[in-house]
Amino acid sequence: MSAELRIEGLDKAFIPGARPAVKDVSFTVGAGEIVVLLGPSGCGKTTTLRCVAGLEHPTAGVIRIGETIVSAPKQGILVPPRSRNIGMVFQSYAVWPHMTVRQNVAYPLKTRKLSGAEADRKVAGALELVGLEDYAHRSVTTLSGGQMQRVALARAVVYEPQLLLLDEPLSNLDAMLRLRLRDDLRKIVKAAGLTALYVTHDQTEAVVLGDRIGVMRDGNMLQMATPQEIYNRPADLFVAGFTGASNVLDGTLSSRDGAYGLVRTNSGDVLRTWIAPTLTVGAAVKLALRPENLRLDAPEGAENRFLATVRQRRYLGTETAYDLAVFGGDIEVREFGTEVRHAVGQAVAISIPQDACWAYAAAAS
Amino acid sequence: MPNNTTVMPGMEAAAPDNRLGGRARLVGRIWSLSLLALLSFLVIYPVGMLLLGAATSRNPVVDGVSWDDVSSSHFITVLTNPNVLLALSNSLIACSGGTALAVAIGLFFAWIVVRTNTPCKALIAGAGMLPLFVPPLVAGVAWSLLGSPKTGLLNTLFAAMGLSWRIDLYSMTGIISVFGMYYAPYVYMFTASALRNMDPSLEEAAEISGASALRTMFTVTFPLILPAIISSALLSFIVMLGIYGIPAVLGSSANISVLTTYIFALTVWTPPLYNTAAAVAVILMVVTGFLVWLQGKVISGRSFTTVAGKAFRPRALNLGPWRFLTLGLAILYLFVVVVLPTITLCIAAFRKFLFIRNLPALFDTKQYSLGHFEKLFANTATIDSIINTMEVGIITALVGGLLSFAIGYTITRSRAPGRKMIDLIVTIPVAIPGLVIGVAYLWAWIGTPFGLYGTLWILALAFVARFLPDTVKALSTSLLQIHKELEEAAWISGRGMLSTITSIVLPLARPGVVAAMTLLFVLAIRELGSSLFLYTSGTIVMAVQLLNFYEGGNTGLTAAFSLVQMVLLGVLISFTTWLSRGGSSASVGRSG
Repeated sequence: MSAELRIEGLDKAFIPGARPAVKDVSFTVGAGEIVVLLGPSGCGKTTTLRCVAGLEHPTAGVIRIGETIVSAPKQGILVPPRSRNIGMVFQSYAVWPHMTVRQNVAYPLKTRKLSGAEADRKVAGALELVGLEDYAHRSVTTLSGGQMQRVALARAVVYEPQLLLLDEPLSNLDAMLRLRLRDDLRKIVKAAGLTALYVTHDQTEAVVLGDRIGVMRDGNMLQMATPQEIYNRPADLFVAGFTGASNVLDGTLSSRDGAYGLVRTNSGDVLRTWIAPTLTVGAAVKLALRPENLRLDAPEGAENRFLATVRQRRYLGTETAYDLAVFGGDIEVREFGTEVRHAVGQAVAISIPQDACWAYAAAAS
Repeated sequence: MPNNTTVMPGMEAAAPDNRLGGRARLVGRIWSLSLLALLSFLVIYPVGMLLLGAATSRNPVVDGVSWDDVSSSHFITVLTNPNVLLALSNSLIACSGGTALAVAIGLFFAWIVVRTNTPCKALIAGAGMLPLFVPPLVAGVAWSLLGSPKTGLLNTLFAAMGLSWRIDLYSMTGIISVFGMYYAPYVYMFTASALRNMDPSLEEAAEISGASALRTMFTVTFPLILPAIISSALLSFIVMLGIYGIPAVLGSSANISVLTTYIFALTVWTPPLYNTAAAVAVILMVVTGFLVWLQGKVISGRSFTTVAGKAFRPRALNLGPWRFLTLGLAILYLFVVVVLPTITLCIAAFRKFLFIRNLPALFDTKQYSLGHFEKLFANTATIDSIINTMEVGIITALVGGLLSFAIGYTITRSRAPGRKMIDLIVTIPVAIPGLVIGVAYLWAWIGTPFGLYGTLWILALAFVARFLPDTVKALSTSLLQIHKELEEAAWISGRGMLSTITSIVLPLARPGVVAAMTLLFVLAIRELGSSLFLYTSGTIVMAVQLLNFYEGGNTGLTAAFSLVQMVLLGVLISFTTWLSRGGSSASVGRSG
């Protein structure tokens, strides 16, 4: 039942001539795969999703669900949402308050002229999938936010759509519930074997839920890759920063051999780092470092070993954050564990693995 | 008027100085008692007298008021009178028909404005509210000029065009049509805001589920705004029930009496049947009260509040070329309801004789003059009525504004004892049509030696009582917007209660107070229903004078005076709207 989603060259401008909300976005979601679109608000992720749903009309580009082209403005093709056979879960739940749980879930079946035992079986199946089998006859207004979102999910999967779209489904829930439903959501979607496109601004949600993550900014798709790759080899400085690489150093590329090379920081220190493919020797670069990837108390001879001084310390319970004076400025380092091991003013040797240190062109963003 | 600003409202628990606790409690008690006494004087006593009048057969003018004769049999005799039952059923038919038409028109316009890409939507939305500001009597007069079976301008026009159509608005259909057209904006206001506040994802979810646009509308959109539809339908029904002007003008020559016109007819009978009038007024009040209760239940019972707190992106349905049809219908509505009656009034007011033989005669400039206006202003009764109206308006605005502020502050801010009771009494007039207030005040003061009857004050006090719910609610809203801590900061700074009110609360609430007073002024000068029973030859007001012109059969004078009143109201309402930034339109309408 689940189908592949293929998007090619998607453009969407709300006001003709103005800055487009989505620019030339192309990607594919394989059948049964979960892809998460991640980015700050206004990056175009929700617009992309709504174009796939047919709730927004793209300006250009081709959207295919399975073998069917559902949207291709150049050829004048625009399939209305009701004929796309997709399911969608909304940020505001959008469960209908004038219907019971069962009526909500059965609604799409009714519009498909399906009723009787077959419909009952499907509704029961969907409610069981989301764990609400005991609530079928309750009015939805008596449910909690998490339960409402489960109703919305059951309603979206009850007719076994080719594709499931989820628009920030967890952002209206409180923190504890969000964690539980987040883990359940992946299980439910995988159990139903659905192809899913999921939109969020929350990184951990993206990492836990997605088989692949697409990071968007200003209407552009910056990188689409597995969560590990996004975190360990971000495509550019924005992706690195958005996913938490908060330390940035300025420098110059002095030599490169293959994927790695030497960078001289403005403070005169030389580091061996991973180098973005397009960079040439002599280029001004920015180095991005994740606070978690720096090692403290590095032994003699460790790669990229430098001496630093603890300038400030913030104890966070399960981890401790240090501001270290090094490279002519401050960088943040985080050490996990409940124990505090370094005092302010103390000298400490740090080491940075070459794979955890990335050089990008300084001009970009 | 008792001195409601010089007494200090008591707030024992909130008082800055605890040692004064005992004294503050006493002051609070005195304050509450004086407010309750005032409200009894304004609301409870007249309503009580109305009930008493319905239960006796004694004429209050001749025999005085007494308890001797009280019996339910008098009321039952009236209730079983076939003429009363006919008026009641006529009222229910006219209001049901009018409401059905108003819902159809109002819902359609709400949908056009909120959910489609019809051009000039903002203009339609704004101009669509205009009918609410037209006094019912003026609307009735204009439509009687347009649609009377023999001399109606529309019929003349049809004849001139060689068409065989004729319309007769001197009929139940006429009353229903004019009701429906002029009270559609209520339904529009409620349903448009319900549509606007509805999370569009609710409809999108239906579309994604495979439902067509039409199916989505009937299974999701309409059920969700049903509480708004029902409650606005009930509201327009309630307002129509209390209207005098439209059925008086359109129903009289066809002998169709509704409750309001029947009540008035009873009081101008020779001899006046005040007891029967009171009994019928009680029936009208009971029906209205039941509907108000029902409306409250609908609003509180099934409100589907949407979850998301964000502002919704409006979803406009692309109608394609059909959008010009919806625009055309909107323009047609505005033409029929606003432009056509205004043109008619202008023609009647400026033309020497309304008889128009054929179409060219309509454009014969020799037929037009300012004669009617000259005659209108040469009539001292006209000038007197304008002066009286202004005086009544100013008294109503000042007394009503101050009283509403005092009550609003007591209800929202103080912990004075009995404020729940005050709140309750203030809402009673919602269920009392203006005409019933008029009868109640007549009963309350006609037989007493105070000498209130026959003064402008009785009119003003009746208006204050009638509009108290609206102004108190408006002022409470603006008081609630002033954060409690702003007052507390003044107390901490060493100010007393009264000094805090004058230096902090009043300046901050001033826009609300000014808007409420201007609104009261506008409502008072256009009020007809309660004035009918309370004016005497020396205290005649504009609305009543207009009715006299109409009933005197002088069409030119009636039209000219209608125009004068419309221009006057237009200027005042623009001023009010400007003052309160558009928040008053709903209340202007309720007065009917």
